[in-house]
Amino acid sequence: MSPDLAAWLESLRVPQRPDEWEVKAALALYGVRAPRGVRLSPDEALPRLTFGEPYVVKVCSPDILHKTEQRGVRLKIEAAALADAVADLRRRFPGQPLLVEEHLKLSGRECIVGALVDREFGPAVMVGAGGILTEIYRDVAFRLAPCEPDEAVRMIGELKIAPLFSGFRGITMDAAALAQVIAATSQLAVDLGDRFSQLDINPVGDAGDAWVALDAKLILKT
Amino acid sequence: MRPKADLSRLLRPRAVAVVGATAKSGKVGRIIFETLLRAERPVYPVHPTEATILGRQAFKQVSELPAEVDVAVIATGAERATEAAEACAAHGIPFIIPVAGGFAEVGGSGAALEDRLRKLLETTATRILGPNTLGLFVPQERLDTIFVEHGDHVLAQGGGVAFITQSGSVGVEALGLESNIGFGLRAFVGLGNKVDLDEVDFMQHFADDERTTCVALYVEALPNGHEFLEAAGKLARRKPVVVLKAGRTPTAAAAASSHTGRLAGSDRVVSGAFRQFGIQRVFDEEQLCDAARVLAVTRPPEGRRVGIVSPAGGYGVMATDYVEAADPIVPLAMAKLAPETETRLGAVAPAFASLHNPVDLTASATDAMTVDAVRAVAEDPGVDIVLCVALFAPPGITDGLIRAICGLQPELTKPLILVAQFGPFTNGHLSRFHDHGVIGFPSIARAVRAVRWLVERHQISSRHRGAP
Repeated sequence: MSPDLAAWLESLRVPQRPDEWEVKAALALYGVRAPRGVRLSPDEALPRLTFGEPYVVKVCSPDILHKTEQRGVRLKIEAAALADAVADLRRRFPGQPLLVEEHLKLSGRECIVGALVDREFGPAVMVGAGGILTEIYRDVAFRLAPCEPDEAVRMIGELKIAPLFSGFRGITMDAAALAQVIAATSQLAVDLGDRFSQLDINPVGDAGDAWVALDAKLILKT
Repeated sequence: MRPKADLSRLLRPRAVAVVGATAKSGKVGRIIFETLLRAERPVYPVHPTEATILGRQAFKQVSELPAEVDVAVIATGAERATEAAEACAAHGIPFIIPVAGGFAEVGGSGAALEDRLRKLLETTATRILGPNTLGLFVPQERLDTIFVEHGDHVLAQGGGVAFITQSGSVGVEALGLESNIGFGLRAFVGLGNKVDLDEVDFMQHFADDERTTCVALYVEALPNGHEFLEAAGKLARRKPVVVLKAGRTPTAAAAASSHTGRLAGSDRVVSGAFRQFGIQRVFDEEQLCDAARVLAVTRPPEGRRVGIVSPAGGYGVMATDYVEAADPIVPLAMAKLAPETETRLGAVAPAFASLHNPVDLTASATDAMTVDAVRAVAEDPGVDIVLCVALFAPPGITDGLIRAICGLQPELTKPLILVAQFGPFTNGHLSRFHDHGVIGFPSIARAVRAVRWLVERHQISSRHRGAP
């Protein structure tokens, strides 16, 4: 395990249970982008932000598993409304940290990248059509980790949505850039070794020349 | 990766002993002994009381056996087999095949017996195949320990497929059925309980075996999953590897708190891992045999464009449907024939024939017409592989078509797959084609599936082309 990753494990606010901000920080060690953001402790004043409106404000805690369903996510918040949004979430999720991020204007096309540990073969990585309907479409492909970018491109080619990466109806999503996210995710799973259990980046959003982790969840073995 | 085990004496022994050989008819010890007697090599029976067995002098105990014995097949029940194995190992016999069940698969005292076998591996140089196994069948060596019916007369002529199976029955029954249409077997290996030798050892052996042109495996549990994949992947760089993995693992159950875990479903991880390592996956015993049969003999095409020649429009249309069926992994395409090809076809085909792909020669087809049409389609630069439907009912088609197509094949620079149907004579015809290296199947679906495996093999080998 690299010193950076070991230090990251040591730094977790709740030991063994990383929150979204922390998972995105781990992914950043592997070159996976996320929106710029700050994590606020329950009683911390809103700092001067280094990024502009609109904002996303979400509850940021390993205790809240279904934050969308519990209305723990507020989107497209303008600067003038930010303080109210923060206060609203603090009232409804007392004692929990919040995450304030820039709201990126993306294409809206989303994938899921994930990883797990297969009983027979060890850590494996997944890519698929993402978003909230992922489990309905079940359009996914797996490889064992670590998975090189070349192999990750072949995974993407197995998806039903593969034509979206080669000009279907004028849409051209960047397969090589998504392959980088897959390869990085697979490497993170490998590097966490025995500590790794499951990882979801859902969704990972199409930002043209890159793919951005919009939400991420990592479960460690205790 | 573990060091490669030298299995040459196991698969090509100088002499074989059968512990528990007997003259009593119906006994496993008799069947195995009698079958092994067909070979030229010495076979020594071991039995405590029977002095001669089928005219051969029996040895009272293992310790009296000559030093040239490379393999001891043990045909007694688990408890006595364990004692015999200990005697064989003490006597320095390099390979032991305990046939009987009643070991770890039954738990309790059986597991204790299996532990005693495992102990031998630590204290001696002896290697064990099994226990609980049908053992080996190597046609070219006349080495056969299988004591149940297994199509051995057809399979005896040998071929290129190394068939490695955890379940002896799956292998024996499936190969027995497939042998009806011709099958080239290099070796059958029943692994049984895998107390010692397993898939990895045999894959490493057959990788270097020049006569092996394809390795087919039936596997259930893979406790050393990653090592299996590494060995299979290394082998797949040199020759086709086909795997039937039964017993879909419940990955999802252990990982249901993430989307990824729920999406892993029954065994999508296995499919992905196999693709990553160049392993061709199949899902039932017929597919396993069909894939091995074609991949062992027919060279893969350079592309995925299929040209079809048929003496019946309906078969051409069905074949087209199967070729064009969506498949994200191995997409096939109908070839577009060049105008020159269609002109050539027009010169040989009857008046109402369809000269576009799928080429329909109509029921007026003759042997010569079929051969000319296959040649014209195969020589079209837009065609990578030819599928020829050979029906023997049309009046102009004779038994001579078999000879004609078999004679044509060596002249073709592209692979040819057949569909042949002729009522109750179908299997016989397919066998004759197979004897001449032409692979055919009794249905459109199975034939197009074979085309897909060949194209998949081309994908796999071109990925590694130029790689170290």
